[in-house]
Amino acid sequence: MLNRKKLLTLILAGVMMVGLVTGCGSNNENSQPSSTTNSANGSANPSSEKLVDLNVWWTNIGFKGIDKDSPLYKSYTDLLGVGVVSPYVEWNGGTDYLNTLNMKIAAGEMPNVFMPWNGNEAELAKNGAITDLTELLPKYAPNLWKLIPEDVWNVVKANDPTGQGKIYWIPSVTSYEKTTGLIRQDWLDKLNLQMPKTQEEYVNVLKQFKEKDPNGNGKADEIPTGGRENARWMDHLYNQYGVAMLEGNPEWDLYNGELTYSAVSPNMKDALAFIHQLYQQKLLDQETFLNDKAAWDGKIDSNVVGNYYHWGQTTWMHLSNIEQATGAKADFSVLPILQAPGYEGKGFITTKQVGNPAWVVSSQQDEEHLMTSLKFLNGIADQSKWSDLYLGVEGMHYKLVDGKKTVLPEDKSTQQNRLNPYDQFGTIEFQEDLLNQSATPDNQWQYDQSIKNMKDLQQYVKVIAGDGMPSSVYENYPDIKNHKLWQEYATKIIIGTYPIDKFDEFVDKWNKSGGEAVTKQAREWYAKVGK
Amino acid sequence: MIKASFRFLLNIKQCWPLYLMVLPGITFFIIFKFIPIGGSIIAFQNYSIFKGITDSPWVGFNNFKLLLDSPDFYRVFTNTLLLGLLKVAIIFPVPIVLALLINEVRFVLLKKGVQTALYIPHFMSWVIISGITFDIFSLNGIFNTVLDWFGFEPSLVMQQEKYFRWIYVLTGIWRDAGWGTIVYLAAISSMDPGIYESALVDGASRFKQMIKITLPLLLPTVVVLFLLDIGNFLELGFDQVFNLLTPMTYSVGDIIDTYVYRTGIQEARYSFATAVGLFQAIIGFVLVLIFNRLSKKVSDEGLW
Repeated sequence: MLNRKKLLTLILAGVMMVGLVTGCGSNNENSQPSSTTNSANGSANPSSEKLVDLNVWWTNIGFKGIDKDSPLYKSYTDLLGVGVVSPYVEWNGGTDYLNTLNMKIAAGEMPNVFMPWNGNEAELAKNGAITDLTELLPKYAPNLWKLIPEDVWNVVKANDPTGQGKIYWIPSVTSYEKTTGLIRQDWLDKLNLQMPKTQEEYVNVLKQFKEKDPNGNGKADEIPTGGRENARWMDHLYNQYGVAMLEGNPEWDLYNGELTYSAVSPNMKDALAFIHQLYQQKLLDQETFLNDKAAWDGKIDSNVVGNYYHWGQTTWMHLSNIEQATGAKADFSVLPILQAPGYEGKGFITTKQVGNPAWVVSSQQDEEHLMTSLKFLNGIADQSKWSDLYLGVEGMHYKLVDGKKTVLPEDKSTQQNRLNPYDQFGTIEFQEDLLNQSATPDNQWQYDQSIKNMKDLQQYVKVIAGDGMPSSVYENYPDIKNHKLWQEYATKIIIGTYPIDKFDEFVDKWNKSGGEAVTKQAREWYAKVGK
Repeated sequence: MIKASFRFLLNIKQCWPLYLMVLPGITFFIIFKFIPIGGSIIAFQNYSIFKGITDSPWVGFNNFKLLLDSPDFYRVFTNTLLLGLLKVAIIFPVPIVLALLINEVRFVLLKKGVQTALYIPHFMSWVIISGITFDIFSLNGIFNTVLDWFGFEPSLVMQQEKYFRWIYVLTGIWRDAGWGTIVYLAAISSMDPGIYESALVDGASRFKQMIKITLPLLLPTVVVLFLLDIGNFLELGFDQVFNLLTPMTYSVGDIIDTYVYRTGIQEARYSFATAVGLFQAIIGFVLVLIFNRLSKKVSDEGLW
């Protein structure tokens, strides 16, 4: 028989073992719909129109959250008639946001209205956790109903994960594309170079950038071009081969007449071979795959990067940072789609008209909060309010100069995170107005460049065949959806750990680890929407 | 039996303060460890947070099958085993050596100073340490600057798979080896000075004393800590690996924990994540049983 002391040690050892399991083990037996209780203490306002608070979550790349009775909260009660409470949630490329959101949902504290991420709306819809909006939107959110074109609604209906043709989420709508390759026009001028049109010219430009010290600081610190970790945000190097890429993630388009993941197309192989050459010649930032957003933006802002890929309309941010840091007045222009040797087709900047789901509404809330949620959606879809939504709070986001509302420089430590329906649903004309509004005489040139770039890039844009494809095609294959295998092979081929021949092994592996099944589902979807 | 339970009650009556003191600890384990074990049941379900445990459909061993069939599983499992072996073979002995060395420092002030300096990294989170590591090995970091002095080509260590395991070992030692010496130093300080005195009389040098007295006396402590450690064999520290990982090092650094994080937590597949956790725990438990048996055979020391 074991004596008691030994028995205790045994138990303790056992406890430690099972302790491993308990991470996500326990849960309350039945998640109560308590989402509303934490934010719904209502206001003490006894007037006829009762103010109801909503817990609202969307992208926040580092600004302050919105507490009850904070300045932005008050501004939104005036503008939208809804109390918008939004806690600060770390974004981190969406990863941390999704984790926190999943955790809150698991704890039965789903926000009233929120932006889903990475396709998690499909599972929520299937479980009835988010509201079927098909009947409600035309009646209670007519602004939104009219704002989004009917063919986009039809795509959303066709993508209903429950297969009943219902509307479960509000899609973002891209009426114009935002991303483009941007190149230092002033460096080209200084070195007497023409804007490159072919790949050969482009490589020559990069070489000159590297060798001829265009930023004039006497050091060979120029980084001709580059991108970010996971081989993202360097789409200008892929798109000359007709590779569909959106913000650095491979997309679905027609290759050989069939809907295909662009990462496994032969075009991708050529693109990777080309980028590998750039890396070898040190024309691509050697630290590209170790750059997070902050590191890469930092390099651009310190006046050493010749060519990068990002939003055209936010060029002004980099321009103002470069001017602040070095005094240089930089000039970024849109890099045309280059003519790549051996590629017959025409390259393009990828765009999707039907963007990611922008909003879903929790079904775990009472009638009053549901109606308020719809009122919120109707409010932000009212274009007459967008200007005010953009401007935010006086003294925090803008100030009055001679009676004109002037946007203050971005400051994440003091500014609260604003709603941005103009980014989610807006038009290029509206964006132009906003940019013009933001400018002061001193920095007008920065906004002029932003507007020029935003307009210039549109000539290269193509809507890809995978537009509107639902994330449900990836069901059960999360690593395919996350582009994990592609990221591994692409980065290794580019830095030279793998020879380019390994690309064929990648295609094979990708197909075997679920790519084949996903492709089949994607093509079925494509046939169903009948494009 | 009646007699035994009677004796137990009598024992409680006599030593009640001791039982009272152990009560909070036991309560803790019951509430935070034993009760949640019940939740492991979702490993055998297709758990939906909206249906709860009672209404989620049962799927038997489906989640385990999914894990074993997964194309990545073989790679993930091998990586985990290899890193686990490195942990036991290289990281585990370092605190023992460190403790023996620190014990030989005669200056009390220096000894305390060294100890404190070695503890400090333990209180830094892995996010910070990995940030420092990435900086050290960046193009403008210390590592490449020094390489440059000697005329070598710069090397981006963090994106090369051949270095990943060593980075794992080195950062692991740097952060936790100092902290690990605490138990050993406590054991050493409780050793009977009489033994050392008689060894001194017999003419044993300090080195001989360390090898022939301190080390053997330390062995039981080493064995117990080793057995506790082996139960966590597959627990490599999610924070550490996750923060040091890049897509270029996936093939050597993707371990069970990071896999669970990606597929289980990020995709909200709770049943699957729990199944993997259970799988990990069972392997740990089996390892403890085996090594305990071995240890008792060889050295007559064991957990029970």
